[in-house]
Amino acid sequence: MTSVAQIQVFATDGKATDAQLALPDVFKSPIRSDIVQTVHAGMAKNKRQAYAVSVKAGHQTSAESWGTGRAVARIPRVSGGGTHRAGQAAFGNMCRSGRMFAPTKVWRRWHVKINLNQKRFATASAIAASASQPLVLSRGHRISSTPSIPLVLNTESLATVAKTREAAAILKAVGAYSDVVKVSKSKKLRAGKGKLRGRRHRQRRGPLVIYDPATDGKTISKAFRNIPGVETCPVSALNLLQLAPGGHLGRFVIWSSDAFKALDSIYGTSTSPSTVKKEYSLPSAQVTNADIGRIINSSEIQSVLRAVKGSAKSKRAGGQKKNPLTNKQVLVRLNPYAKGYAAAKLGQTKYQDGKPERAPAVFSETLKSS
Amino acid sequence: MSTTPSDLLWELTRNNTSYLVKRKTNGGVRLSRDPLNLRNVHSRKAIGLVPSEKGGIALLTKKKTGYTNTAAYKPSKTSRKSYLHIANSTTKKGYRSDLREDAIARASALIKSYRKPVKPTKESKPRGSKAKAAQAASSSADL
Repeated sequence: MTSVAQIQVFATDGKATDAQLALPDVFKSPIRSDIVQTVHAGMAKNKRQAYAVSVKAGHQTSAESWGTGRAVARIPRVSGGGTHRAGQAAFGNMCRSGRMFAPTKVWRRWHVKINLNQKRFATASAIAASASQPLVLSRGHRISSTPSIPLVLNTESLATVAKTREAAAILKAVGAYSDVVKVSKSKKLRAGKGKLRGRRHRQRRGPLVIYDPATDGKTISKAFRNIPGVETCPVSALNLLQLAPGGHLGRFVIWSSDAFKALDSIYGTSTSPSTVKKEYSLPSAQVTNADIGRIINSSEIQSVLRAVKGSAKSKRAGGQKKNPLTNKQVLVRLNPYAKGYAAAKLGQTKYQDGKPERAPAVFSETLKSS
Repeated sequence: MSTTPSDLLWELTRNNTSYLVKRKTNGGVRLSRDPLNLRNVHSRKAIGLVPSEKGGIALLTKKKTGYTNTAAYKPSKTSRKSYLHIANSTTKKGYRSDLREDAIARASALIKSYRKPVKPTKESKPRGSKAKAAQAASSSADL
């Protein structure tokens, strides 16, 4: 971990330049999808506008209950006569033209407070995830022809971009246009009332271009803004809603080289705190190496482990029972003598000497005398 | 430029990824559309084979430095040569050896799918009582 990863800088024509940049430390912050998801959920709620039903809805009648004894339910009923409305039930949430259950109020808690440090953690986490090729792929971005992830483009050539045609040419040159094509193909009519409320279509998100407003200029965002799915963001105001849309990590990010360089001062490094965010230093990972397999197989761990006890033989569980009377192998395992017994054919030999001899008469006498 | 360990990646993509295909049928199978996934099952797999446009087999491999590299080649005369090529160009070059069997199984399935169909089965010419029955059926159909 001593060597610092170097990131190749590309020109806007897609060719590699001589320049290489050290990977800012924010890319080493821990990737915590749980934090990103909760922070994203909170941030997404903070744009909401209050809505509620009218306070008077369902209560604009002078209905009163008829009480018991009239063989109808005791719900308030509209007084008077002459119209169909008279005698109908009112007010209750189960009634036609009654009030809704628990009428919505404008003082619902619309917004969510998110701790600042948590917000910054989530942003740092999302930045780190944007540098992981598998995560960008798994978010669904088309990056197979992209020269590298993270993709850093030269500020000198990016700052002059003013027209959308030039911006599209850049995206084509760096292999990001297939992601734009994916976005424009994905455009669908939105389901529901949102169609009438200025959200007629919905589509995927394409690449996010992050620039440094001080050096990259203001024309860059105008050049990119009419390309479907492409968003731009100044590096000083990175937004989690753009870095991890839907709370899903791994947005395809195109960095300008100056914006990439600025990350170290904005988020700080592992040794120095941020110069912009007051008293902020990057979160550090719980484990320096999360590659568990590599830890287990390391010589340090393997050298202190004792040897495996016993052999690697695995016992056959629930194997078939063999009959030792018919199966010789099993018989020998139970009775090792059986092999020699069978080889010597002891089971087949008859008494060689015929009938046993009768004991001499002395034996009987001696036995009985005592 | 990815040094994200595979254990972490798996935890991050286990429940939600663009490649994941969940179905409620078949006991809620979880399949993967990842071209680098050999068995198309949602699990941790690295290299993959996808059919190329020319009708051969394209070998998609992952490069350490970054993006995927495609090497398309036509099927050899014998499928065994193809398998040997796959084994030589992946397992023997430092790719995960535990995936060799899957890679070859996938190639085998692809080669099988490119095979021309065998001769169509001949029409049956019934004889004896079956022929009479068939004739009777066709004549009654005519009426």
